[in-house]
Amino acid sequence: MYDHLEIRCPRLGGEVPFSYCQEEGGDLPCQRVITCWQPYFPVEDYLKEKLTPAQWDRLFNQAPEHKVTSLVELIEAAKKRRGL
Amino acid sequence: MKPVKVFLDESEIPKQWYNVLADMPTPMSPPLHPGTGQPVGPDDLAPVFPMNLIEQEVSTERWIDIPEEVLEKYLLWRPTPLYRARNFEKLLDAPVQIYYKNEGVSPPGSHKPNTAIAQAYYNKAFGIKRLSTETGAGQWGSALSMACQMFGLECRVFMVRVSYDQKPFRGIMMNVWGANCIPSPSDKTEAGRKILAEHPDSPGSLGIAISEAIEDAVGDEDARYSLGSVLNHVLLHQTVNGLETQKQLEKIGVYPDVVIGCTGGGSNFAGLCLPFVRDKIHGKEISVVAAEPTSCPTMTRGPFAYDFGDTAQTTPLLAMYTLGHDFVPAPIHAGGLRYHGMAPIISHLVKEQIMEARAYNQIQTFEAGVQWARTEGFISAPETNHAIAAVVQEAERAKEEGKEKVILFNWSGHGLVDLAAYDAYLTGKLQQYEMPEEEIARALQAIDGLPKP
Repeated sequence: MYDHLEIRCPRLGGEVPFSYCQEEGGDLPCQRVITCWQPYFPVEDYLKEKLTPAQWDRLFNQAPEHKVTSLVELIEAAKKRRGL
Repeated sequence: MKPVKVFLDESEIPKQWYNVLADMPTPMSPPLHPGTGQPVGPDDLAPVFPMNLIEQEVSTERWIDIPEEVLEKYLLWRPTPLYRARNFEKLLDAPVQIYYKNEGVSPPGSHKPNTAIAQAYYNKAFGIKRLSTETGAGQWGSALSMACQMFGLECRVFMVRVSYDQKPFRGIMMNVWGANCIPSPSDKTEAGRKILAEHPDSPGSLGIAISEAIEDAVGDEDARYSLGSVLNHVLLHQTVNGLETQKQLEKIGVYPDVVIGCTGGGSNFAGLCLPFVRDKIHGKEISVVAAEPTSCPTMTRGPFAYDFGDTAQTTPLLAMYTLGHDFVPAPIHAGGLRYHGMAPIISHLVKEQIMEARAYNQIQTFEAGVQWARTEGFISAPETNHAIAAVVQEAERAKEEGKEKVILFNWSGHGLVDLAAYDAYLTGKLQQYEMPEEEIARALQAIDGLPKP
């Protein structure tokens, strides 16, 4: 019911609907989703119902990964996809 | 006639970048390999970065020479002018001098080419023929496109689909500079094809675009990946800005009390601020402020009062607009969110309390940006408006405290490709969040017993 709402995404630098924020992290919402949306509707409650406790924990209770670490993860995943 | 701009002669452009890692008061934790748990080594990054940039990423040398070939390209728009914002000062009517470094004069209109040029050069020097990258709204993609063209490299930019559709002009800029701008997810990579098979109408995301750009580079000996923010070498290249600014201020005998920049990944903020951080580490009294986005309600709804700057009450009492030190907006309950995506160097300096992060909501920032355009003339990139909002806040504080201040900030780019965002603001499509009065009253109980300024 909130999917059509729009906001300016500080990461992208443009307007996006809430539906985008829910899928930004692939199988997870964007890590900024609460920071951006909570003032407009109770997104925290909404997501608590929608996400599993494990997903919630992965998204919000873990320190952000070091950029270099996430790059190495992406490199390894890309190598696999390319059969290297 | 009072002077407005301070110029440097081309011969005065800094010949070295400044590396803050040499002056860090405490060591930063090394990034760990997700598989082995050991610190990430050069070989782990070699599939996507040339070794000369990896060396810069881990370097702790204080000064790193800027190659002649890079300086030659910088001179197309550098040294950039330092301005005194006299008209904005008049509007604010506060005891402040406001200086800003105009990074919007570069060909793509932002600070991004400071590292794009350097990265293109180092890749070329390493024998690379093609660079791949991702971009959100296109500021970075357009900067790298120009830089690659200047060094004879092919450039492929994966642009998040939703932005590609919304902002065709950035894509056209990339094409003019000879790059191939591809909406992501695309059918060019396995990662993109998988997403499209499941969600043919996917709007994409930065995460998908990064996966595509990396996959595009991995396994091709002639190709590498390029990132426009966050990493140490990116921040290093940006310091040419702050080093120029120091020379310009020295010419007019001024030193700032506060240095401000907007921060997403941290590169434009770092570019201006890190040379001043060096001064601070060596004893100068200066505030360094990172202005970041939030949707939290504006703090100006609270009174100007003495309060602690943090919930732990470890800072001295500060006179500020406050909703009480224990006011924690609901979004910030979730740990670590505020610094998600910020450069490790910046996060570390914030943690060490050498610099501070302040959040501004989008209404505040557009209000400040429109005031700015109506006085100084320049239409700022929406991200730059965060820095202007912080300038307004600093000026209001100076007025309340009756203290004279010199404020310096980074005008990181123009907003001429972002006019749709201004239209949304001007036509009232951006909604101001109004915090209930009872919530404000509850938060303010925390400062009941503290002295009043």
